[in-house]
Amino acid sequence: MPDIRLEQVSKVYPGGVTAVDAVSLDIRDGELMVLLGPSGCGKSTTLRMIAGLEPITTGRLWIGERLMNEVDPKDRDLAFVFQSYALFPHMTVAGNLAFGMRIRGVPRAEAGRRLQEVAATLGLTELLERKPGQLSGGQRQRVALGRALLRDPVAFLLDEPLSNLDAKLRAGMRTELIKLHRRVGRTMIHVTHDQVEAMTMAERICIMRDGRIVQVGAPMEVYRNPADTFVAGFLASPPMNLLDARIEPEGAGALVIAHGLRVPLPGALPPGPVTLGLRPEEVTLAPDGAARIALDTVTQAVEALGPEVILVGALGDPRGPEVSWRMPRDFTAAIGQPVRLWLDPTTVRLFEAKSGVAIALSWPKP
Amino acid sequence: MAAGLARRDRRFGLLMAGPGLAAMLLVVLFPLVFTAWTSLYEFTLLRPVHDLFVGLGNFAAALDDGGFRHALRVTLAFVVAVVLLEFLLGLVVALALDSVERGRAVYYAILLCPLLMNPVVVGLIWRMFLHPTQGIVNYVIGLAGIAPVNWLGDPAVAFWTLVAVDIWHQVSFMVVLLLAGLAALPPEPYEAARMEGAGPIRAFFWITLPLLRPVITVTLLIRLIFAVRTYDLVYIMTRGGPGNATDLVSYFIYRQAFVTLNLGRAAAMSLVLLAIVLLLTAWLHRYMRSLRA
Repeated sequence: MPDIRLEQVSKVYPGGVTAVDAVSLDIRDGELMVLLGPSGCGKSTTLRMIAGLEPITTGRLWIGERLMNEVDPKDRDLAFVFQSYALFPHMTVAGNLAFGMRIRGVPRAEAGRRLQEVAATLGLTELLERKPGQLSGGQRQRVALGRALLRDPVAFLLDEPLSNLDAKLRAGMRTELIKLHRRVGRTMIHVTHDQVEAMTMAERICIMRDGRIVQVGAPMEVYRNPADTFVAGFLASPPMNLLDARIEPEGAGALVIAHGLRVPLPGALPPGPVTLGLRPEEVTLAPDGAARIALDTVTQAVEALGPEVILVGALGDPRGPEVSWRMPRDFTAAIGQPVRLWLDPTTVRLFEAKSGVAIALSWPKP
Repeated sequence: MAAGLARRDRRFGLLMAGPGLAAMLLVVLFPLVFTAWTSLYEFTLLRPVHDLFVGLGNFAAALDDGGFRHALRVTLAFVVAVVLLEFLLGLVVALALDSVERGRAVYYAILLCPLLMNPVVVGLIWRMFLHPTQGIVNYVIGLAGIAPVNWLGDPAVAFWTLVAVDIWHQVSFMVVLLLAGLAALPPEPYEAARMEGAGPIRAFFWITLPLLRPVITVTLLIRLIFAVRTYDLVYIMTRGGPGNATDLVSYFIYRQAFVTLNLGRAAAMSLVLLAIVLLLTAWLHRYMRSLRA
């Protein structure tokens, strides 16, 4: 199966609004790519341009060696799953599933066999005679997926398919989709604004903002090394703590200082203001070999989530900037109580103060 | 406490609705009861007293009356013709307008003009337009070399002329309702169909028509109910003629009452017409309730 390639693809609406701005992206055959970003970032428009539901203003879209800009959606051999499922309300589940095969003239016997097969896979066999109005959200979702599966396409395009489901169902469907992807082995492009969905499902995440791609990479890669403060603040909940800080030279290296917190850095960095990023889980309650920088937090709230506790507090003193830390589940602290935590300096991330772009740090190999 | 509050609310509601209710009783219920009462008597405008009870005699005479039965048949033909033609034409125009993006308000305004006109005015205007020797219609077709047509005077033509004028007057009703129905259709099923390779014709027959069915049914029924009662156009344009070619039942009943002066018979005929309209309305009501379920 071919790759899908976007070259400098842009979408400008008649009013002059640029929804997608020179996006270049390679989606490899069989990959599960998640387009992630806040609403209005252009991720859905990008997907719809790939599908052919929106014309591409400038740039090129390739599927394999074929330029697709002017190709009719039906000839792109892609299946689209809509956020609202887009089922035909007047047709039964069977009618909805068979719609595409009827149009493509698949022989009746074969269509029936494949329909039964897909219905069985998705657990829809009992529902074939129902109309969409008589189905739950999760069942409708499965019908929409079934319709896509029956297409047997080059790639599946999924436009926020889980966002209309309640939280519990969503987690279940997430797993179902991952399994489905593994079974069919086809490319999937999944659009979502939910970072948990992106982290759990994606082989690679493409994070978008204001019509541009900010970062593309494997989930943990993006998580560990966010390209800028936007990505750092968007992924995970609670997100990375971002603190105003400054760099000062110290001996052969440098120090980053944020409200009393002093972290030594490798190499000579130019002094000046920066943003310091600290992941909430990168602190411990007791010092060990790596975690050797002391850090005080004045407790403001303790949120017990069950498997863990989120400590929300002020860094350094009660007037310090707000920070959140992940603590073990038996952690407790009184409001106003200072808590001493320990930090491994190699886990800190630095960003340019103005642009927010990440600054590379080269720690010596241990 | 709460019960007292509810009672006071109810009493206040009745007080507020009272005058309107009384007016309705006076102008709607009273004529209805009077008509029903009169239909059971030999009651003419020459002898307007309820002293000769004939039971269902007026109904039997009405149904036995060849003129009345003819009027019912003409009305049926008229209703079927206008509703069907207006629907087809309205749907075509609505579909065309649905894809218009700029200046839709202008088209709307133009379309609504005939609908805003009083039927009497419509009849008068078209009577002038269609005048066999002085009318602009014959003048224009004359320019194309077509012989003049006696639009309202030829028994074979007059019925269709009436149908055409009614279409001119009422087609916008269909357009506006169907257009609203089209605008309310969700876009996603169309996109899904497009991904599957359905062209515009398939999309129309497989998606638009079935999804639009409730709107279509309601529109047809409402138009049907109004078309059954058509009176003004006939009164102004043809007076039921030539002969009795356009003798719609409303006009026939009017003549029965105020030309023949047989009010008892006319009342019975009105009740027959009322029964037909009520039946259609009940059907509409039931359908709309089934939609909500």
